[in-house]
Amino acid sequence: MGVVSVVNMASHLQNASRARLGLTSVPHTKYNLKLALALHRTGFVSFVTRGGSRPPDPATIDTFEPEPLTTANAAHQRLWLGLKYTDGVPVLGSISPITTSKRPITANLRALGLLARGFDASHQRGLNIGECMFVTTDRGTLEIREAVERKVGGLLLCRAGP
Amino acid sequence: MSVARPARCLLSRGLAATASKAGVAAPAPRYRASFHSSAQLAKRKPRFKSIRAEEIGLTTPEKIDEFAKEYFPQYSPEELEILRQRYTPEQMAALEAGEASIDPKDLTIQGRIRKDPYRPPYFDDFSKILPIVDKQPRTHPQPQEKVKFMSPEEHADDLEKLIESLIPKDVNFDGMKEEEIEKLLNEKVNLDIAGAKYFDEHPTLVGNDEPSNSAVAPGLGKNLRGVEGMYKQPVDPEDHGLDNEGVWQELKRKSGLTVKDILSINRTTKVLVTRWVSNQTRLGKVQRTWVLAIAGNQNGRLGIGEAKSVEANVAIKKAKQLAILNMKPIPRYESRTIFGSVEAKVGATIVKLDSRPPGFGLRASHRLFEIFRAVGIHDIAAKMPRGRNPMNSVKACMQALLSQRDPNEIAIGRGKKLVDVRSVYYNGKNVTYNMSTVSKDIEISQNKR
Repeated sequence: MGVVSVVNMASHLQNASRARLGLTSVPHTKYNLKLALALHRTGFVSFVTRGGSRPPDPATIDTFEPEPLTTANAAHQRLWLGLKYTDGVPVLGSISPITTSKRPITANLRALGLLARGFDASHQRGLNIGECMFVTTDRGTLEIREAVERKVGGLLLCRAGP
Repeated sequence: MSVARPARCLLSRGLAATASKAGVAAPAPRYRASFHSSAQLAKRKPRFKSIRAEEIGLTTPEKIDEFAKEYFPQYSPEELEILRQRYTPEQMAALEAGEASIDPKDLTIQGRIRKDPYRPPYFDDFSKILPIVDKQPRTHPQPQEKVKFMSPEEHADDLEKLIESLIPKDVNFDGMKEEEIEKLLNEKVNLDIAGAKYFDEHPTLVGNDEPSNSAVAPGLGKNLRGVEGMYKQPVDPEDHGLDNEGVWQELKRKSGLTVKDILSINRTTKVLVTRWVSNQTRLGKVQRTWVLAIAGNQNGRLGIGEAKSVEANVAIKKAKQLAILNMKPIPRYESRTIFGSVEAKVGATIVKLDSRPPGFGLRASHRLFEIFRAVGIHDIAAKMPRGRNPMNSVKACMQALLSQRDPNEIAIGRGKKLVDVRSVYYNGKNVTYNMSTVSKDIEISQNKR
């Protein structure tokens, strides 16, 4: 699957946000998990948890314990993400994939710095106000500012914004 | 030859006529060729010989007298007797004077007796009034010129009269107990309706409820005592005499702005788009002027007003007032540019706006330039990659400016702290680039030197 699942996840999250859903699920893959955690760190989603085919109760999400992962249930696991809204406007207004399996786009540290400051680089428009870009590096999947802080470049996964 | 011939043909009759007048013995043969292909009609003659009235002898005095006696006879003594029974002696005298003043001979010679089927059905009967032929009589006296409101005493009398009129006339109240009277009155008189009528319809002017010749209620007098001079437009002392005519009062009330502010904004309102529009009706095209104007206080507020009118000036005035009324706050970064890049689309027109560093200036098309100047944006780049329709570009620009995301809201939504790097770099000071402050700084530095 690889990066394709991230592309699908981005589209699905944007659709779910525009449909004003409270929570949604994506396939439980390594790429998806890393991106979901990065989105959670950035504050775009309210929670990320592993779960079965039935959604966890959002009211008791703090104490939710997913069932232990076994080879028997691994195929049915999904990632559940809570979506956020302020005054009915989605916090994650747009999320669009950059890298596709056909065309991976990488950015070195210099390009990341330019992008983070709002300048065009690596065939990408610079970030607008409130926008984030997610980069998968050898230090994990990071938000672009984290990557610049850690002085690593990598593969541009997607960009998210209000 | 062929050219001269038609002229001779045309002129031959006229030439012949002049020749015969000049007394030439042998008249030239007339050119009798007709201009028409059809056969000429024989010369028309009246069927009867016209005979003058004099020749018949109709204008002789005897004949005139005979006609007058037949058609305009004097009243006979019997008729006069009947009239006397009907009219007062004064009226009879007037009648006789009227009869005497008109000579029957004049009627015969000068008058014309109608015999057509559309003649009025009377000859000299003015007792009947035909609504189409005759003017409507004005039977009621003219309304009073000088009306006045009732004094308290007149009010009291009027009310007393009204209450008396409510008491039923056909009941004898003598010897009845008070309870019985009250019960009877409750049955016969609907006091609620009478009270409502009194408050709604009852006139408060003296003698203003008399029957009138017109269905329209008589207007109030111009110089009513006690009212004269009291209904002037109230002048608000807060306006400092800027609006004594009350031109801006409605806008002031609606917008909540002071007249001083309105006037200062009005000075910078601008008509950006004018179009001549027409409504095709069955009566033809009704042409009107459509105007779009903008208003801004040059400090973060902007409004668009659209108005349409047959008169261009009226449309401009309306559009400007609406623009002032529609002013909305526009978010600005450091009071000089916008937050990030925004884009809006109206129709085929897309307006893209980008924030720019201080000193960049306004790089925009002329209409957008005016908008930015009105709202107080000093650094911006605007692009219209597709259509550049005048109306849509202005509207899209307004939409784009309003679609800016507030960084605070983004921060609250994400639960993160957003830091303005520029502000951090300049030690947390909010750097403003108003022209006034800049010039002040220059002044200070000059003084130091």
